Amino acid sequence: MPITTKECILRLRRTTAGLVAVLAASGIAACGSSSSGSSTSSASSSSAASSGSGAALVGAGSTLVEPLVQVWQPLYDKAYGTAVTYGGIGSGGGIEQITSRTVDFGASDAPLTSSQAAACKGCLEIPWALAATDIAYNVKGVPSGLHFTGPVLADIWMGKIKSWNDPAIQKLNPGVKLPATAIVPVHRTDGSGDTFAFTNYLSKVSPTFAKQIGNATTVNWPGGIGGKGNSGVGGALTSTNGAIAYIAIAYVGANKLDYGLVQNAAGKYPTPGIPSISAAAAALKSVPQGGTQGISLTDPPASAPNAYPISTFTYILIPTSTSKAAPLQKFVNWAITTGQASGPSLDFAPLPSAIVAADKATLKLIK
Amino acid sequence: MSTSSAAPRGPFRLRASLADRIGEPSLRTLTAVSALGVVLLILWIAETVVNQSSTAVSQLGIGFLGHQVWDPNHNIFGALDFILGTLVSSFIALLIATPTAIAISIYLTELAPRAIRRPVAILVELLAAIPSVILGLWGLLVLGPFLTNHLEPFLKSFLAWTGIFNGTPSPVGMLNAALILTIMALPIVTAITREVFETTPRDLKEAAYAMGATRTEMIRMVVLPLARPGLVGAVILGVGRAIGEAIAVTQVIGNASQFQASLFAPSGTLAAQIASEFQGANPGLWQSSLMYLALILLVISLVVNILGRLMVRRTAVH
Repeated sequence: MPITTKECILRLRRTTAGLVAVLAASGIAACGSSSSGSSTSSASSSSAASSGSGAALVGAGSTLVEPLVQVWQPLYDKAYGTAVTYGGIGSGGGIEQITSRTVDFGASDAPLTSSQAAACKGCLEIPWALAATDIAYNVKGVPSGLHFTGPVLADIWMGKIKSWNDPAIQKLNPGVKLPATAIVPVHRTDGSGDTFAFTNYLSKVSPTFAKQIGNATTVNWPGGIGGKGNSGVGGALTSTNGAIAYIAIAYVGANKLDYGLVQNAAGKYPTPGIPSISAAAAALKSVPQGGTQGISLTDPPASAPNAYPISTFTYILIPTSTSKAAPLQKFVNWAITTGQASGPSLDFAPLPSAIVAADKATLKLIK
Repeated sequence: MSTSSAAPRGPFRLRASLADRIGEPSLRTLTAVSALGVVLLILWIAETVVNQSSTAVSQLGIGFLGHQVWDPNHNIFGALDFILGTLVSSFIALLIATPTAIAISIYLTELAPRAIRRPVAILVELLAAIPSVILGLWGLLVLGPFLTNHLEPFLKSFLAWTGIFNGTPSPVGMLNAALILTIMALPIVTAITREVFETTPRDLKEAAYAMGATRTEMIRMVVLPLARPGLVGAVILGVGRAIGEAIAVTQVIGNASQFQASLFAPSGTLAAQIASEFQGANPGLWQSSLMYLALILLVISLVVNILGRLMVRRTAVH
């Protein structure tokens, strides 16, 4: 019922007072319906997924991958005429929506747990972007580039190392004069790929951390400040003298924060960035096939001296049986190949070729 | 629609009466539907919260309220620290807001020059118009550094022995959140307090003056005692405002999942925990536990609001 706003107003004016209420209700509905066809921005709207000619894809989930998907959307629409709608509602929400099939694809920074995988009934997890987490800090009088090791970071976040001039930190930074300022560890409160990557790394290098806190997108930190999203963590970091945070590498670069260098298994301190992330990905010995398990990139082996130790894949979740099989395969195929070129400007490293090959094989399982 | 205007316009008479015949009942129906719709909406929202929290309620039971640890990764959930955080932050907020509101109200109803009463009253109430997210930003950017560099070291130097002003000064934490909530509760408490004071019967005031009371004595012996139930109601409604605030608190409280005695330390509240964690929470016990927090918050808010309204009405009608 295409009624313009002007007609609506005219119609309303002509009516007598008693009928105004009736027509206002129907008029508003009619005016509303004429514009609703063009807005498909809501990610959770299942109608957007089910209506249309199959030329639209709707997805939701990870906020970490959202900036990259936002760059992809116009590029892919221009190249293939397929509109991809994506809502960064968080990894947990993405898993939930793909499990209930209200979206065409979900996205998660953490691989599905076994119970999640069972609930999702044949969902494939395909690594489609590669990002890293930095250690940033804000200590008056201390320059960027402090050295850290995994166990020292674990002790800081578990509250065992309490001040910046602790011998454990001083030993790693012999030339730096460290103040007695109290250390305030900052963490993410919302489920996040950065938390997953960071706790994945700390769980590997510190058995105590693995036992007490563990590896997940949200964990129970024993202290410190929590912030919501990169901006929440960044805000707490920059306003607190003595704060240290794990935070997306892109955010650190964009805001010129002081960042630390983390020792890798080879004993080196590589600068976090695309080359060192790619070095970590290149060190992957075996790539799991079949899209049913996650791949951990943290703490790469000593054979890769230039590898950055805290990097992580983020995953797209697709059911094996879907009405959108062909457009999904086409989109993901594009994202893991051509689409990777958009990554470096947002500090996403290109996927290693072994992963791309495994992804392509996994995509064939979608029917 | 008056018949006088319809009568001279002959051709429209039939339509007008037809419109009346359809219009009157449909107007009643539509307005009734709107009113009932809101009632149903409240029930619907309550039902959703109860429904979504049922997994956690049945698995964790009432013990959830007394359990401290919140560890989603190990499927351990307890609400105690968030309940404490909510109660303490609101308590401190009202502890500061109430005397301030009473002072403002006495000034505006009894002492201030007549010309400035209305403008000042409007400005105080405009404080409520500041979006909470902006108040939160101000708390983070302005209040936070002031607390760390000045107020908290000062309090610590005198009152560290109390335990609540001890620890490392921090820009985000319980004290910052409580002060932001004070600013939020203040306009509500002031507005009601001022109205309650204004209902003081003029003859009682004049009787006090006639008996030789000074202005201070009149306020102490007439205005304040008469206003007491209304004041209690105002405070309770202020608590209702403070208890449910999520965004601004999330910005300044530090979102720790532990409650600490020190007011400088980061903490959490029910509302802030839901706001900051629900988005990333996995379905199942975790999400359901957050809904359980929501249920606790909903019950506290409803009880507080009903109580507050009853108290205010008691003063208004007497």
